[in-house]
Amino acid sequence: MSSDKVAVIGGGPGGLCAARSVAEIGGEVLLIEQRDFLGGTPVAENYAGLTPHGEPAQPQIQQMIEAVTAHPKVEVKLGAELSALAGGPGAFVLTLRGSKGAETQTVECGAIIIATGFSHFDPGRATQMYGYFEFPDVITQADLEAMLSAHSVIRPSNGQAPERVCFIQCVGSRDRQIGNEYCSKVCCAVASKEAIEIRQLLPDSKVFIFYIDMRMYGFWENEIYWPAQEQHHVQYVKGLITEILPRGDRLLVRGEDTTMGRPMEVPMDLVVLSVGMEPSRGTREVAKLLGVKQDKYGFIEAVCGPLDPVGTDREAIFVCGAAFGPADLEDTVSSAASAAVRAVGYLRSLSAAAAN
Amino acid sequence: MIQTSAPRAETDVYFKAPDVAGYAEVPHDEKVRLFEQVKADFRFGDYLYGCYECGICVAACPSAKFYDFSPRRVAQAAAREDVDLVYQQMQEDIWECSQCFSCLRCPRGNNPGGIITIMREVAVNNGLASAKQALVGYSRIIYKIMSTGTQVSPDMLRADAFPDWGPETADVADNLDLWRRALPAETMHTTSSGWSVADKTLVELYLIWLETGALDMIAEVDRGLHSILLELMEERLEEEGIQP
Repeated sequence: MSSDKVAVIGGGPGGLCAARSVAEIGGEVLLIEQRDFLGGTPVAENYAGLTPHGEPAQPQIQQMIEAVTAHPKVEVKLGAELSALAGGPGAFVLTLRGSKGAETQTVECGAIIIATGFSHFDPGRATQMYGYFEFPDVITQADLEAMLSAHSVIRPSNGQAPERVCFIQCVGSRDRQIGNEYCSKVCCAVASKEAIEIRQLLPDSKVFIFYIDMRMYGFWENEIYWPAQEQHHVQYVKGLITEILPRGDRLLVRGEDTTMGRPMEVPMDLVVLSVGMEPSRGTREVAKLLGVKQDKYGFIEAVCGPLDPVGTDREAIFVCGAAFGPADLEDTVSSAASAAVRAVGYLRSLSAAAAN
Repeated sequence: MIQTSAPRAETDVYFKAPDVAGYAEVPHDEKVRLFEQVKADFRFGDYLYGCYECGICVAACPSAKFYDFSPRRVAQAAAREDVDLVYQQMQEDIWECSQCFSCLRCPRGNNPGGIITIMREVAVNNGLASAKQALVGYSRIIYKIMSTGTQVSPDMLRADAFPDWGPETADVADNLDLWRRALPAETMHTTSSGWSVADKTLVELYLIWLETGALDMIAEVDRGLHSILLELMEERLEEEGIQP
């Protein structure tokens, strides 16, 4: 028996946009989220400002959440994880397990949108070269985002404001040794946005960004990169840091200033690792349960090429956002709306065929 | 190189020490003071935005072909506020620029040649050794320009000064007055100035040098030349009954 319902798996920006889009064009939606709250990574990791414009993240994500929860065509299931799939296109049966324990339930849907997103690269897992676990003053972009949300950027080692801060780009991205050869797309802009926020919060600080290439495509160039350099005097140095050493109560970062053609050793108070994106646990597990093809990194593979970025290798199962690879917010909501139209279109063509 | 908060380590083999480079080391604060003068120039904000470090200015630069000189490094040093490197450049690099402004091709709208113009002015105003040295060969030209308003006079073109100009130079020099009189324009019948300059023009010129502080600029680099010119100008203005 066929279902007119679209199941959206994941309640982050992609899932919220997909759910809202399906509802707004008249479809029934079941939004499934494993956490006990909606909003995904931006809420879970306490993002301060959205890239590129830097507007406060929480109120903006909250608006997305309210638009979804207030819509009569959307049913939200929090604290629910997919545990099994039965049936087929047009009449899937999903088994959901409560995240806390035993109770399971089954729900029906005709099409599925996967919006399970990414997780940040864990700098402690694959490499200890930046001493993420060794030095309290080595943190990640996500750690810094939480500090910025609290309007208090400090050195965790002593609670004081840092005078010299640096970002190290491409940590866990573009690295054959780690196995993530891809670019994570957003870290350059996020580092630049965070650097501006630090300079505004601590006007006497010096902020450096050590990079391989600055990837600030489109309007991010003149909306983030140029202002960071020209108005906020963030120092961009082409050259990656090879290692961090303790030096007194500071950290000494070693690298090459490639455009000046010289090795450099400079003291820092706070080092921020610009960690890339990896498929989230949810993306890996949902991909296996639904039987959709994954790429070598574990992202869900968009098999249909550049003109159909939301189709998977399984009929009636679509994917959006960072579940199929590194994505910024604009990519995420654009692909979510695209997946919503594809899912509703699929169900309508099924019912049109049944009516004939 | 990135500016460190502490003075640069002596063991830094990549930074040419001043004694090796041939100019006097000065305290860190003095370097900061000089750089602040560069930044305080009203043109600075229009000459330096941010640097991509793309190298298009170096590619366009004729001096970069022949010297260890890079307009990119000049822009970078200023953007990074590396006062040690800026000071080194004020003692060395900036005098290798031909001020042709080919570097204006910068996609960010920077003007490395313009930054150098400002750095040169600060070097001259503060009597840096490099400025004195660079201007040694120009003292006669400064004298000519400031005293006559013309840059190179025919009598400066002597054979012993320009041996590579060939044997005709000597012949022309020996009969300079005759050769000049062969020129059609009467104003060119001069040997000690490029052309004949009207008295009124000279008086106005001297007033400009004195009132704008242009004459004061050379006091730091060539005190002798400065007093010769000052005396000459004041005497002339006195004859005209003008108190500068």
